[in-house]
Amino acid sequence: MINRRRFLTTSTLAAAALAAPGLVTRALAQGEALKIGVPVPISGAFAANGKFATIGAVMAAEEVAAAHGVQVSTLDLDTEGKPATAVRKVQDALAQDGVKLFAGGILSSESLAMGKEVERGGGAFMTTAGADEITGVDCNKATFRWSVPTYGAINETVRPIIDALPDAKKWYTITPQYVFGDGLLNAAKDVFAEKGIEHVGNSYHSLTDKEFSGYLTNAIAAQPDVLLLLNFGAQSSDTLRQAVSFGLKQRMTIVVAWASGLEQFEALGPDICEGVYFGAQYWHGADTALNRELVAKVQEKHGFNPNYSFAGSYICAKLLLEAAVKAGSPDGAGVAAALSGLKYQGLTGEEEIRAADHQVIKDYYLLKGKAKADMADKDDYAEVISAGKSFLSPEDAGCKMPA
Amino acid sequence: MIYLFQVLNGIGLGMLYFLLAVGLSVIFGLLQFVNFAHGAFYLLGAYLTYDLTMRGFSFWAAMPLATLIVAGIAALIEAVLLHRIYKLPHTFHILVTVGLALVVQELVIIAWGPLGGSVPAPDGLQGVVILGDFIYPQYRLFTIGFTAVLAGLLWWLLEGTRLGAIVRGGSESPANMALLGYNTLRINTAVFGFGAGLAGLAGALAAPIRGVEPFMGIEALSVAFVVVVIGGMGSYTGALVAGLLVGVVQSVMTTLWPEGARLMIYVGMALVIALMPRGLLGRA
Repeated sequence: MINRRRFLTTSTLAAAALAAPGLVTRALAQGEALKIGVPVPISGAFAANGKFATIGAVMAAEEVAAAHGVQVSTLDLDTEGKPATAVRKVQDALAQDGVKLFAGGILSSESLAMGKEVERGGGAFMTTAGADEITGVDCNKATFRWSVPTYGAINETVRPIIDALPDAKKWYTITPQYVFGDGLLNAAKDVFAEKGIEHVGNSYHSLTDKEFSGYLTNAIAAQPDVLLLLNFGAQSSDTLRQAVSFGLKQRMTIVVAWASGLEQFEALGPDICEGVYFGAQYWHGADTALNRELVAKVQEKHGFNPNYSFAGSYICAKLLLEAAVKAGSPDGAGVAAALSGLKYQGLTGEEEIRAADHQVIKDYYLLKGKAKADMADKDDYAEVISAGKSFLSPEDAGCKMPA
Repeated sequence: MIYLFQVLNGIGLGMLYFLLAVGLSVIFGLLQFVNFAHGAFYLLGAYLTYDLTMRGFSFWAAMPLATLIVAGIAALIEAVLLHRIYKLPHTFHILVTVGLALVVQELVIIAWGPLGGSVPAPDGLQGVVILGDFIYPQYRLFTIGFTAVLAGLLWWLLEGTRLGAIVRGGSESPANMALLGYNTLRINTAVFGFGAGLAGLAGALAAPIRGVEPFMGIEALSVAFVVVVIGGMGSYTGALVAGLLVGVVQSVMTTLWPEGARLMIYVGMALVIALMPRGLLGRA
């Protein structure tokens, strides 16, 4: 619909006083600027996520420019949340703007399509999308993924809750019918089978649904102990809001396996979130060095706490740009070599980019919504119940990395 | 038993859809104007309710206030801009009102941000009604009753009062109404403001159910058009019948074929267009 495209030049040469970058700038061609494309939905149903993602990428670009004394510019590419649009924008950026680095892709379907396109164009792509296939059967040389895939998201939310609530034996799921939803559902079914949980039903819905009362009526009829929501973004907020209005919070435990973090809590408010479990890739309250630093910087510059969309885009852009600086070129092969096997202190603590499938090994959080009275500040919506790393091996995920 | 519950739930949904569509139907029926900004007025009604409740107004004050503000804004837009294009082909109506909808949507994002928010159900309607295994929120039950009463009032207003006769006269024979001394321009402005106010009211009523987010107007517009096309453009009773039909079909299909529930309402619309091009109760 709205086809916005804006070019943001974020920084020119930084102060020469910075330490190591002398070597680095010599490695990059004389006057060569690094360009990074940010293909995210800036319009459409997921526009709120895209808006924060673009700001996050700009902050990463500014930091890398200042730290290494190079020119870095970001190019916003509005995918509208549609794979076909995303592919077209990436093709244009590769061919017309000479962009080789891409950080973005919030929806799995668009990320899968873009990853293939970037590989074809000799670039590097890092995403936060969730479908297992991205670093599984559809892995490729150019594609990296920061977020924990669906397998890990389910294992780090469903398992701890099963352990904490041993009497909750009947679970009902509500699932969006596309690759991401099916990934979460299949992983959940595997855990249910292993733990002896009865899966009393599932309702599939389309990506355009906004009204969930019918699906909730199905869930009520199945009389589960736990309602597991496997949708994302505005759809999971709509489902949760309507579930709470149907009084389900008083009748069963509600779990949102893949929450979009702070932005979702802000949209829902504490009354709805209280007592609900949320799986999360990132939480601004996580006690790690890089996260504390990021929170302080974002607070200073923008006056708000970073959310998942911001943080995911920030770290993807930062990792890609740092790798390009290290490689001396934004070309995909060099960037991929610099990223593969990299261990670093990330936003969630120690993180590692697994060379075999380009999956970042990082923590996934289980949060529980706080009562309004217990919130220490306006963003203190949840307490961290647990955090951990769950990943399929590259072989089990089905990744056969092309040589 | 589950199907009976889904039918009941569908009636609740259908009443909301009716309210959403009836303003669109009234504007088309009386002004022959295709209003693609209808969803934007719904969006504005929801956001104004959200804003007013955040400022401490009770929902009962926020709902009529939001409705009146939306009606006022719409009447102003009609008087300044839209009345100039009534005589142009429908494609111009679509072009201008789509543009208007986009402007409203972007203004909403500028004013309230891209994230959206929640509007709590009013005190006294925050609980649920339990009928055996069936649970239904009190607030949704209220919207069914409220919309049913409103539907009766609207019918009486349009069909049984002198005001309704003037409005219908202005639509069918503006020249004769002008000869009788009525200002048809003002009548048109009032009708447009009234229809858009109904969309604003639908948004205000939907806010505690759906929350608010900047793109809710697009979805509302598509549902409203489905209802109006099925019921018949300009038919008040058609909007009621079609609203209920769409709500019940959508709700029952969530049990029969969940992944196709939303698809089925569009399939229904395609069937009606193919078999009854004027809609179920459309005027010849």
